[in-house]
Amino acid sequence: MKRAIYIFSDGELKRKQNTLYFESSSGDKKYIPIENTGEIHLFGEVSINKKLLIFLSQEGILLHFYNYYGFYEGSYYPREHYNSGALILKQSEFYLDNDKRFRLAKKFVKGAILNMIKVLEYYNLRGEDLGREIKNIEEIYESLENFSSIEEIMALEGNVKDIYYRSFNKIIKKENFYYTGRERRPPRDKLNALISYGNSLLYSYVLSEIYKTHLDPRIGFLHATNFRRFSLNLDVSEIFKPIIVDRLIFKLVNKGMIQERHFMDEMGGIFLNENGKKIFVEEMDNKLRATIKHRKLGRHVSYRTLIRMELYKIEKHLISDEEYEPFVMWW
Amino acid sequence: MYLIMVYDINKERVAKVLKIARKYLTWIQNSVLEGEITEAKFLKLKYELRKVIKEDEDSIVFYIFTTKLYTSREIMGKEKGKEEIII
Repeated sequence: MKRAIYIFSDGELKRKQNTLYFESSSGDKKYIPIENTGEIHLFGEVSINKKLLIFLSQEGILLHFYNYYGFYEGSYYPREHYNSGALILKQSEFYLDNDKRFRLAKKFVKGAILNMIKVLEYYNLRGEDLGREIKNIEEIYESLENFSSIEEIMALEGNVKDIYYRSFNKIIKKENFYYTGRERRPPRDKLNALISYGNSLLYSYVLSEIYKTHLDPRIGFLHATNFRRFSLNLDVSEIFKPIIVDRLIFKLVNKGMIQERHFMDEMGGIFLNENGKKIFVEEMDNKLRATIKHRKLGRHVSYRTLIRMELYKIEKHLISDEEYEPFVMWW
Repeated sequence: MYLIMVYDINKERVAKVLKIARKYLTWIQNSVLEGEITEAKFLKLKYELRKVIKEDEDSIVFYIFTTKLYTSREIMGKEKGKEEIII
């Protein structure tokens, strides 16, 4: 499988000898195998030129940019190579038709909530006493059927998220990482910083996978399509946040891999510093490449493949081949 | 699969071989590259190399591992190159 490359150093990335070449400002030179690269995440100050962008287009490699604080800023999304006018029309049709859009949006919320319950159940079985929280979320989940607008189910998801994040305090073993409230812009405590950073990374991974399908990332269903950004990746990320990001945070914090010293206090917010980001990214990369035995396929697939399979299921739904059912963890 | 490529090439063509190999694998030290590669890319690599080497003078050896699980790696002296995804 093609690898993701993460560049934290400052320097210049260019095309050289028909492959990728990175020269850091401290003088380190490095060739990166182009044939084995699927996407590049840029965290440092990296100069690039047009020759590189054209090369990346030809190879179908995505470039994701993050700002100084590690938040997603944008992507270089090369010319689509799997272009299908028919599917774009279908995708638009499902967006414009209120009923169809709502049905899909509800599926994303369902998937997200069911996976949150799965995560809590796992820790409940290990004696963390989360029975009440699970029951609360299940009750809200039941009421999902009574709602009929996207705004309503989004509000409902917000309620679930609040109960869910509050229960993190029973799972997280370090008091200084406790949840006090969700604060995004900017994150005000360490847990919020981790959640925001992880979600940020997940959005770009899902975007990379969308590139390999016929879907258009600009047309989402739960998250409204607007004039400036991708939204389908946000929809699909909802399903995978509990499975990938939240479980990773528990591991990093409980095992002491991420500690107080991996954060910085700036601009009235708390952010991961460079070392913290590197640890997070490395574990996230491992996680995405880790495989699970797939029940239906009977073979091992990675979490990254799981994301792509989710997108194929959406494609099938749009061409009315098979009703989309969100991925729910079964373990 | 995981691949280690070792070569001994006439100096007239050695730069060309390195240039091709670098597209697929990571440079470890002079005449040695390694890295994860798919079956298809391996075929592509061999096809590209076959076009530049002279079969009666040059030699390339590939060590192929289906998994890295049962291998270990030891280095004496300076580490010149390694596979990195976080730069």
